[in-house]
Amino acid sequence: MAGKVAIAGYAHSPISRRVDMPLGALTVRTVLEAIADAGLGIDDIDGFTTGALHPSSGAGAVIDGDQTVTSDWLIQHLGVRPRWLCGFQGVGQICGSVILATNAIASGAADYVVVHRAMYNPPGSYHGNDMTEAVGADQWSAPHGYWGPPAMIALPYMEYLQCYGATRGDMAHVVTGARAAGALLPWSAWYGKPLSTEEYLKSRMITDPMSVLDCDMPVNGVGAFVLTSAERARDLPHKPVYVAGFAQGRSGPDNGVDQWPLADLMDGGEAVARMLWESTGLAPHDIDVPQVYDGFTPFVYFWLEALGYCARGEAHDYVKDPGISPGLPFRTGGGAVGNGRMHGVPQMLECYLQLAQRAGDRQLARAETAFACQAAPCMGGVVAYTTEPVS
Amino acid sequence: MPVPVPDDTSGPFWAACAAHELKLSRCTNCGWFAYPPRAVCLQCLITPPAFGWDPVSGRGTVRTWTVVRQAFLPDFAAEVPYVVADVELVEQPGLRFLARLRGTAPSEPAIGLPVQVAFDEMGGGIAIPYFVPAAM
Repeated sequence: MAGKVAIAGYAHSPISRRVDMPLGALTVRTVLEAIADAGLGIDDIDGFTTGALHPSSGAGAVIDGDQTVTSDWLIQHLGVRPRWLCGFQGVGQICGSVILATNAIASGAADYVVVHRAMYNPPGSYHGNDMTEAVGADQWSAPHGYWGPPAMIALPYMEYLQCYGATRGDMAHVVTGARAAGALLPWSAWYGKPLSTEEYLKSRMITDPMSVLDCDMPVNGVGAFVLTSAERARDLPHKPVYVAGFAQGRSGPDNGVDQWPLADLMDGGEAVARMLWESTGLAPHDIDVPQVYDGFTPFVYFWLEALGYCARGEAHDYVKDPGISPGLPFRTGGGAVGNGRMHGVPQMLECYLQLAQRAGDRQLARAETAFACQAAPCMGGVVAYTTEPVS
Repeated sequence: MPVPVPDDTSGPFWAACAAHELKLSRCTNCGWFAYPPRAVCLQCLITPPAFGWDPVSGRGTVRTWTVVRQAFLPDFAAEVPYVVADVELVEQPGLRFLARLRGTAPSEPAIGLPVQVAFDEMGGGIAIPYFVPAAM
């Protein structure tokens, strides 16, 4: 699969707390911009995919076109009839969609595929839920006051702090670095708004040891990419960025409530990392633009350790090196903390922009290899990219 | 508080809680405890599933915890800050039970703290299990 498929173009909407048009309309606009960016027309596109999960655990209804946008909704509103249409069901949505698109193109099921991701910020509390009865799976969590992803991540993060002597001050390096990068991105919700260590340390605690700034900020925004075969991509205006390999996480044995012991999380993450390195033939220090996921900040530690940048328990020290580690630009794309809750789009976008030599002032001197992670290492995905088709 | 709604699977669990007893779903084929109840025994995969209900001691140790300070469930707003602990029960390695931990200050839990189950009466025949530090 490596080197057979490439990203040919992209578009990204502004990221904002509130949207001034329906999310579906913003998606139509962004997708049309991405197709034009790739030097193509709508009639060229014969495949569409996304992972459409709306991750709020709040009580609001999820309506296609308003709170999420499926590829099915998209093609109906674009008025097209592609020969390949597919939805990724699971976590690690943008990685999963890219993997589906890559396989579809490599197998000949589609020639030009739009991968998009549309994110929505509901009014009110993102995870607030005023249920009075706990039915089904909720009866094992809600009656105990255990609710929502921040608590789910707080549990293994507390385990990490206790086992390895890490502090919230260590994490300040991750958060301020991401916000410094995000402050330079005109489309980011945090454009022009860097954050100081002091502000981070004083931020409101939600569920110890997670503060509000350990969670990415819910936003509205859309990212879209056009993928095609390596041969076709070479005839298009922009430098192709090749899919070099990928791996997807599995949560392992069903644990009943969505919460992983730290050791299980890391065992699963290391299995994903092995798949990535085996599928690409690359090793951690071959990567010029490593974009780890940070939708919840502890994921940065978990990904760095799982991928082999440092041993288990060492990431909280590792991130204190300048630029996280000399020569390793983990934070150039701002990630989720520096952009807003775009679910892996910032990581993929930064891989694309840097490798396509389209990163403007932020362009790295060396950007030939990259990877983009999403979600938890044990239950998410990672896709590697290269400027030359490796096989 | 969100009141649990017992169903075909969970009925015996909540009935036991109402009697201040912790009973867990257990595979009668291989003896594996499942909490929460599962559709299939992850240990032996026997079908049709052959789960029964067995009492457990309610004793365990804290694996990890969080101090909830923002209640996403509004009914818990008056309770913050409170501790939710991930407790590994003594009956089986990896048998985890997430519930509130009371009787410690938010700064006091520790990994490995021995705990014991207790029950909170909700009225309407429902009692919610929680943990307290075990008596030494």
